Amino acid sequence: MVTDTNDATVYELIQLMASLNDTRRAILLALAHIYPRSVSGVQLSRLIGYSGKSRSLYRGVISHLQENEMIQIDQLTPKLYAIRINNEHPLLNVLVDLCKIHGKHSRKMYLKALEEE
Amino acid sequence: MENELLLEAKALYKDRIRIALSAFIIVFSFTFFVYYTTGIAGIGEHYPGHGITQGLQVVAAFNNFGLLVAVALMVFAFRFWSWAFLPGPASLFTMSVLKGILGPYALIQQSIGKRFKVTLDNGLSFSLRCSIEEKGTDEWFTYRLMSNKLQNGNLRDVALRHGFSLKGNRFVASVSNDELHHRTLLLAKAMIVATASL
Repeated sequence: MVTDTNDATVYELIQLMASLNDTRRAILLALAHIYPRSVSGVQLSRLIGYSGKSRSLYRGVISHLQENEMIQIDQLTPKLYAIRINNEHPLLNVLVDLCKIHGKHSRKMYLKALEEE
Repeated sequence: MENELLLEAKALYKDRIRIALSAFIIVFSFTFFVYYTTGIAGIGEHYPGHGITQGLQVVAAFNNFGLLVAVALMVFAFRFWSWAFLPGPASLFTMSVLKGILGPYALIQQSIGKRFKVTLDNGLSFSLRCSIEEKGTDEWFTYRLMSNKLQNGNLRDVALRHGFSLKGNRFVASVSNDELHHRTLLLAKAMIVATASL
């Protein structure tokens, strides 16, 4: 766990998050809260309130996030992917820590949303 | 928040596709007319031989190949045109975003193939390529940002910290049109950081 969450890193994190569009930002925030859990593409698109198809979410957004090493994708079966935030990323691990320490309530909300009926 | 210029570009792009399609139909009918009526380059009336050989001669006639080549040329011309050029409002949008964030001293050159080359006043330069995606994604208009080759020890860290990945000593990322503004800024900043900490 990173403990030296100094101002400079938080500044860089804010700048990074601000540079992303709302879909990508929502993905990173949701995934940071539920870390270390991973979600499937369909779960993710429900979690961030994405209205399009999860396939287009994958091609247009998730693959780009993966290219920039912000998220990691494990292919479980040909159709099922496990998506989680990349905790090795120099800034996103700060985000994950922040969510872990200060985001307990939001985390509960996200996890409740993921529960199956 | 939808950008006016972008909406205009989108509409114009669709219009252009329609215009191209109607032009294609007209040109196609004209070529068809030229090749398959007697008179201009028309199909001959008499072929020597009987039965199958005569049929084969008609199939292998100059006219059929001519039509094929003409259609291939039309398709090629359309492909080239859509590869090379951006709709006016789209390139205006790109230019004004880049000018807006990089200031009046940055040199921006637009070249064929929907590419832009940006040289900052401190000598650093990067390129961006615009593509109009249609299949499989919701985003119709995206950019590929790519910096020039950089030399430094911890490039990967700098790249990741600014939301880019490192490929062959270049910072690269695919960004959507609503991210162009801020991520271009971050790219410029990342390049300055990378060259400053040599």
